[in-house]
Amino acid sequence: MIDPRTIAPRLVVLGLAAAAAFAAACGPKSVAGPNRPDGALIVLLPDEDGSTGRASVSNPAGSVDLTTARRASNVVANQQPGLVTMSEADVKRLFGDALSALPPAPQSFVLYFRFESDELTEESKALVPKILATVKGRTDPEVVVVGHTDTMGSPSANFALGLKRAGAVRELLVASGLDAATVEATSLGESFLLIRTADETPEPRNRRVEIAVK
Amino acid sequence: MKNAKRFTGVLVFAIAISAPALVYAQQPNAAGRVKVVSGTAFIVRNGAQVPAKAGDAVLESDVLRTGSDGRLGVTLKDDTRVSLGPTSEVRLDKFTYAPTEGNLALALKVVRGVAAYVSGRIAKLSPDAVHLETPAAIVGVRGTTLAIRAGA
Repeated sequence: MIDPRTIAPRLVVLGLAAAAAFAAACGPKSVAGPNRPDGALIVLLPDEDGSTGRASVSNPAGSVDLTTARRASNVVANQQPGLVTMSEADVKRLFGDALSALPPAPQSFVLYFRFESDELTEESKALVPKILATVKGRTDPEVVVVGHTDTMGSPSANFALGLKRAGAVRELLVASGLDAATVEATSLGESFLLIRTADETPEPRNRRVEIAVK
Repeated sequence: MKNAKRFTGVLVFAIAISAPALVYAQQPNAAGRVKVVSGTAFIVRNGAQVPAKAGDAVLESDVLRTGSDGRLGVTLKDDTRVSLGPTSEVRLDKFTYAPTEGNLALALKVVRGVAAYVSGRIAKLSPDAVHLETPAAIVGVRGTTLAIRAGA
């Protein structure tokens, strides 16, 4: 006779063993899959700021949403896209090479100007060394300097003022040691206000140059 | 009066888009640039395969391709980033970035191999303007980092 008190624990152990065997058999296959030419594997990863976006994966048979980190869809032609959560190790094993080739995130800086002038505010002047250090930390840097104005004056005058501001910042950066060929200066005048205002409104926060270091 | 204002707007925009050429001569319609290269990596343009190097312009319709030891990373004008692992191919089917006009489009196809994608301003300004796909699936994006594997 089997002692009934031992059956339950045995069943649990059996169940766990079966689950483990099932996971071993199906786990890697459902994540990595045989790499079929008609298949695809799409994984949602956390962004650099730690948040995680959203994505959807669809084929003619259906659609699934990826909403959490390392949630993945394994797609085989003509079948409803599958849904699994990948381990960090699997992500690294399958995608480590591609992920390591991602260029560093572009970084932006905003510099502000005195009213109707192309002279920087003192706080903004103090940011310049940080910008230089960021540029120097990149292997193939591109610096895009875009001038903006507030809505005082005509759009065309503001385009010109924006270009003058961008040019002044470009000169400052080049004089500080950046290669002139890597620094591009353009203007958006009053067409991209940081703070939305009516026309003919002085607004210091709109008198700015945005610098993108890529 | 309204027309005059619109004309000024168009004029300013025309100046704005021609400005980069005036200030600093750059590849006219570059969609982005190669930033990271290791091993064997190519840009295929109009059927011609050219070894990729850091700083190379990437244009709409270009194909990015890597050999078995290759890796390649590209940053597009809107700050979208795309990278390829070994034995991979990604096609930049479409790239339009003219935010002043509200004209935005990005279409990327991972033809084979493995790729990583980090969304840029186009996805932020207009998520529906981004089209990512592999031969087997279409991917809709909402401001996201993704890794994608296509085919064998």
